[in-house]
Amino acid sequence: MMKKRMMAAMLAGAMVLSMTACGNSGDAGSAAGTGGDAGAETPAADAGADAGQEAETPVAEPTGPVELVVTTTFAGEDSNAQNYKDAVKAWEAETGNAVVDTSATSDETFKTRVATDFETGSEPDVLFFFNGADSNSFIEAGKVVSIDEIRAEYPDYASNMNDDLIVASLVDNKKYAVPANGYWEAMFVNTEILEAAGVAMPGANYTMDQFKADCEKIKAAGYAPIAAALGNIPHYWWEFAIFNNQSPATHLEIPESAGDENGQAWVAGMNDIKELYELGYFPDNTLSATDDETFAMFTEGKAAFLIDGSWKVGGIVSACQSDPNDPATLDSAKLDKFDVTYVPGKGDRKATDLVGGLSSGYFITRKAWDDPAKRAAAVSFVEYLTSDEMVPKFAQHGASALKNAPEVDSSQFNVLQIKAMNMMAGTTSLTGAVQDLFAGDCRVSTFDGMPEIVTGRVAAEDAVAEGLEAYHNQ
Amino acid sequence: MGANIYRNKKPAFVFLLPAFLFMVVLLYYPFFKTILNSFMHLKQLGATATAFNSPWYANYEEMLHDPNVWTSVKNTIIMMLVTLVGQVGIAIVLALMVDNIGRGKQFFRTVFFFPIVISATALGLMFNLIFLYDKGMVNQLLELLGKQNLTDWKAEGIALFTMMAPVMWQYVGFYFVILVTGLNNISDELYEAARIDGATALQRVRYISVPLLHNVICTCSILAVTGALKVFDLPWVMFPKGMPLKSTFLTGTYMYYHTMETKNVDYGAALAVLIVVLGVVLAKVVNAIFREKDY
Repeated sequence: MMKKRMMAAMLAGAMVLSMTACGNSGDAGSAAGTGGDAGAETPAADAGADAGQEAETPVAEPTGPVELVVTTTFAGEDSNAQNYKDAVKAWEAETGNAVVDTSATSDETFKTRVATDFETGSEPDVLFFFNGADSNSFIEAGKVVSIDEIRAEYPDYASNMNDDLIVASLVDNKKYAVPANGYWEAMFVNTEILEAAGVAMPGANYTMDQFKADCEKIKAAGYAPIAAALGNIPHYWWEFAIFNNQSPATHLEIPESAGDENGQAWVAGMNDIKELYELGYFPDNTLSATDDETFAMFTEGKAAFLIDGSWKVGGIVSACQSDPNDPATLDSAKLDKFDVTYVPGKGDRKATDLVGGLSSGYFITRKAWDDPAKRAAAVSFVEYLTSDEMVPKFAQHGASALKNAPEVDSSQFNVLQIKAMNMMAGTTSLTGAVQDLFAGDCRVSTFDGMPEIVTGRVAAEDAVAEGLEAYHNQ
Repeated sequence: MGANIYRNKKPAFVFLLPAFLFMVVLLYYPFFKTILNSFMHLKQLGATATAFNSPWYANYEEMLHDPNVWTSVKNTIIMMLVTLVGQVGIAIVLALMVDNIGRGKQFFRTVFFFPIVISATALGLMFNLIFLYDKGMVNQLLELLGKQNLTDWKAEGIALFTMMAPVMWQYVGFYFVILVTGLNNISDELYEAARIDGATALQRVRYISVPLLHNVICTCSILAVTGALKVFDLPWVMFPKGMPLKSTFLTGTYMYYHTMETKNVDYGAALAVLIVVLGVVLAKVVNAIFREKDY
């Protein structure tokens, strides 16, 4: 009897242990796989683990191959998705380290995922992410390392960058993210539709009134004037509609209430979008379409104007390739039909006043910094991705924060990149996006609520007031 | 001595312990934590809530005034009815027809069951292409038939149909297989006797198949109704954020929207509690309606 009890207890214990072992086996496997070499565990890692010295801050030396978890927004249709893959591969070959890439297209779900990873302690080692309000939560929690702290040990870290151009955190005014490439937002044009509708290519003095007149002609010719999915990604129109009722000097001021001067500018911006919707300038399915669908309308010659970011240049070029992953299959004649120009201006905002800047950068997390095996690798990775040689590849026709930016070699550019570069040469100002400061649930009433605003189910004033209230309660 | 081992139940408890702990850690703890979070101020997933809402029941009060909650509950109930009629109903018809054919039963079983093994996300993407506004399969077919204008299958008036049709289609095969198995368990002698008595094929179905399938149909109905409460992935892929105009939210998608998209985690937790309450109530109602019979 006793033997049987013992046997039962042992079996139960074995079951529990086997479950525990199963749980641990993944860790063991990943540790063994560190650096892509099962036998290549780092002495520093062993020492730290054995002696339980996690609390001490060890001196990081490149001790051997390690595995870095990296999350970026270089994915999907981002112009730099391929550049990033190539750079990672080259860094891996050069250092013998390995990268576990968890990059994804930047959207609200991605931002939530990143924030949740930080909250639950499963953050990546290196993160290319927004340096505005979206990064507030993990900076407040002390989960990333400031550039100054890194420079205390690695004096040359980001020394090739102009510090004045590195954006400081909204939380503590410290600088955390090393920028790689800037961005701009402008208006892409399908010139084939313009020709068919008898509309001239918009220029530097383009006004909202001229834009509406052109939209009317395009609509009469049987095309959708504006490619935008207001029920999915109203972000670009949101930004410029507000900007058009302000000036570059006031655009980054968040209103105290919907009733003050800036608040009224926001309300007027929402009503401007509503007017364009009522005039029928957006696609018929703008409230039910996804951004991908309206972008396809633009590239397939069914919609004329597309306001989007510099990253969309790559998306348009891919759409002109029979194989999106093979640049050799580019249909140059098709790409010739696309152009990029300024977003129509209004009031104190000239068309050449664009939205742009250096809104993202590479963060090194506290977790990687405190890991003796990973510290040097994380620094090496960021230095490699932000080197003088690498940044121009990512920045292309956009801005960068390099002190000694090399001359842009436009011979490597395609026709749309050259048009973008020419357009940027005429820019009179580049202002950051106010939505980068207005992050979180405060956006919901005017972003997700845009269909209700344009259909008149919710008054623009109420939606703006709701968003501002949420912002000031944060 | 030998029989004592069967009287002593203690070893059984030891064997049950791992599974019990598993359930406590991964189900009951999160469940009670969700209830608690629904009263707390919590805006970040994974963060620790430190203060109660003011008043503590604020989220439940807000739910009463939130039109999207009522839309999502209404849509979920419609989804239940659709699953009952569309999934179980069609499955019964298909099962009866397949049961009456001589050859090819196995072929139809496989064909009708196949959608179940495809991931709902993949199906969502596929149906997105089928119902695509510009150059979607359905609109191209309609164009071939002479229709001049494109139909927006995701527009407010017909979005629910576009969302529910694929969900219905996906699970018909599941209930079909259960019902066919139930039909196989009915003795051939009954049909033989009825045939000798002069019963027509329709009468054999009406007076033999359907009554003897009653319990199987009850089980399918309970599975369908409770399953409808959990439908999430396919509707979310096809209609993210309840688009258009938040008219396609289900309780599950609306809870996810607040938790993952609007960073309103405590409100998402309150919606999760609502889903549980709704599930318990509806399960009771369904059990009462579809009570199994003893033969």
